[in-house]
Amino acid sequence: MNDSDNHLKDTLSIAHSEHFGLIANRIEQHINGTEWKWLLNNLNDIADPQPQLVARIFTTIPRNIRSIDKDLYISFAEEENIGRNQLPLLVKDWTLVRLIRVWVLMHIPARDQAGYVRLIEQLFKYGEMEELVALYAALPIYHYPAAWRLRCVEGIRSNIGAVRHAIMIHNHYPSQFLDEGAWNQLVLKAFFTDEDIHNIVGLKQRNNEKLAQALVDYAYELHAAKRSINPMLWILVAPFMDARAYRLMEQTS
Amino acid sequence: MCNYNDRDGALMGQRVALELDLVKGLRFFDPHIHMVSRTTDDYQAMADAGVVAVIEPAFWVGQPRTGIDTFRDYYSSLIGWERFRASQFGIKHFCTIGLNSREANNEALAEEVMELLPFFVYKEGVVGVGEIGFDDQTPAEEKYYRLQLELAKEAGLPVQVHTPHRDKTKGTSRSMDIAIEHGLDPAMVIIDHNTEETVREVLDKGFWAAFTIYPFTKMGNERMVQIVKEYGPERIMVNSAADWGISDPLAVPKTAALMVKSGIAREAIEMVCYKNAVAAFSQSGQLDEAMLNAKDRIDQGKKFEGNSILRGGQQPRRDADSIVIS
Repeated sequence: MNDSDNHLKDTLSIAHSEHFGLIANRIEQHINGTEWKWLLNNLNDIADPQPQLVARIFTTIPRNIRSIDKDLYISFAEEENIGRNQLPLLVKDWTLVRLIRVWVLMHIPARDQAGYVRLIEQLFKYGEMEELVALYAALPIYHYPAAWRLRCVEGIRSNIGAVRHAIMIHNHYPSQFLDEGAWNQLVLKAFFTDEDIHNIVGLKQRNNEKLAQALVDYAYELHAAKRSINPMLWILVAPFMDARAYRLMEQTS
Repeated sequence: MCNYNDRDGALMGQRVALELDLVKGLRFFDPHIHMVSRTTDDYQAMADAGVVAVIEPAFWVGQPRTGIDTFRDYYSSLIGWERFRASQFGIKHFCTIGLNSREANNEALAEEVMELLPFFVYKEGVVGVGEIGFDDQTPAEEKYYRLQLELAKEAGLPVQVHTPHRDKTKGTSRSMDIAIEHGLDPAMVIIDHNTEETVREVLDKGFWAAFTIYPFTKMGNERMVQIVKEYGPERIMVNSAADWGISDPLAVPKTAALMVKSGIAREAIEMVCYKNAVAAFSQSGQLDEAMLNAKDRIDQGKKFEGNSILRGGQQPRRDADSIVIS
């Protein structure tokens, strides 16, 4: 690691620790005192992150924090966005368990890259559905941000809608770290799976001609099948509009 | 896990038309079904028939696994993909995790599986250790059955016990004796695949008695009706154990319908087709009545902001009666 990286890391960890308090406040409001203590004790323990211990804490949150209102969904206002690596963490409609899980992940110290990556990857490998959602939603907060590209791409391939949603929607990681091919797959897949396209972070900044062409092909395919075309598709195609695209847009609008 | 005997159709009893209207309004819980082997058509039919929740025990997938990774991926699918798949049809999916008796006989692999199990048994929605027990009743089967009873005790989870097809009566007694020897409370143990020959002892010893309604090889549901008439509904539950064999994912609602027709009280039907299974497996702390009543917020389909395609139970329907596919 060079000097500028070190400097960057320091500034970020200051911002990071300020945000800890913010999340802590939100969590503490919703769980009872015993559970809160259980959580804090465990967070202390993972200052020395033994893989088995981290896995146990991460997995058993719903078993140990039982006072959670299952119908409670948490959103943070824009200005409350939290994160490290200069990537804000967008909390929109999260269950409290998901928020606690991500908060626990934020406490895992960086140590050496290989050990850190191995530990987080192990959690992915054994993750159940809700754990996977939390793990992918947490992409912006992991240390060594560049190390999670393949993991992110793999998650987009998931057949579990909730997992894809956690990556595609309200998540700053993909637009910052995916190459063009992977980014385009994300956007195309989001159209295929009826995601809320306008909530994909970085949609306009990462828009590109190849993507626009693929979207026009897709629009033609939908048209042939007599299926409807999401209007958001034309917004992405607009900057690269050619005659072929224009013909179809005219026919379908 | 069965061999089909050729049976004369004439000996298979009278055909009774499928009248699920008889059980309209009832809710069903199938506490033993292997959905990894079933199609989306089954999920839709189950949801239509009133099945609101299932338990999928880890089992033998039809051919032996040869490596630890296929075990891990299988367990992962039970707590991941399969859980999501069920949610798309408005069905709550729980599972039990364990090393089945057949594969316990591959000792080298069984050792590795035992190391893997603690990573899975504490997961959300894992309501027991299962299905474990005896198949050929070998020493290796006994060894891993015992080890897994200890695991269940440590994790505070119920146990779902598969009883053997061959030498069943003895195998069932032996399974219970060993559980008691390990200090398990019989109320935490569900003895599965019972017959007329085993039920008395299972109930007398304080265990839960589960019955698998499975054509040709296990219980038929006319026999099941007789059992409920004879023994009453306490600590008895019905399941389909539907899998890759010729089996019936609607076995629970169909059995309930047959019970209605046979004059069994509605309250008793609710107990054996829903409440008893909830009571037995809720001891895991991973399942309760409120969870089954909760209307899944859009969250399950994870479709926010007005997009309703994947709302629970609202999967788009294909028209199976049309040759046109669109």
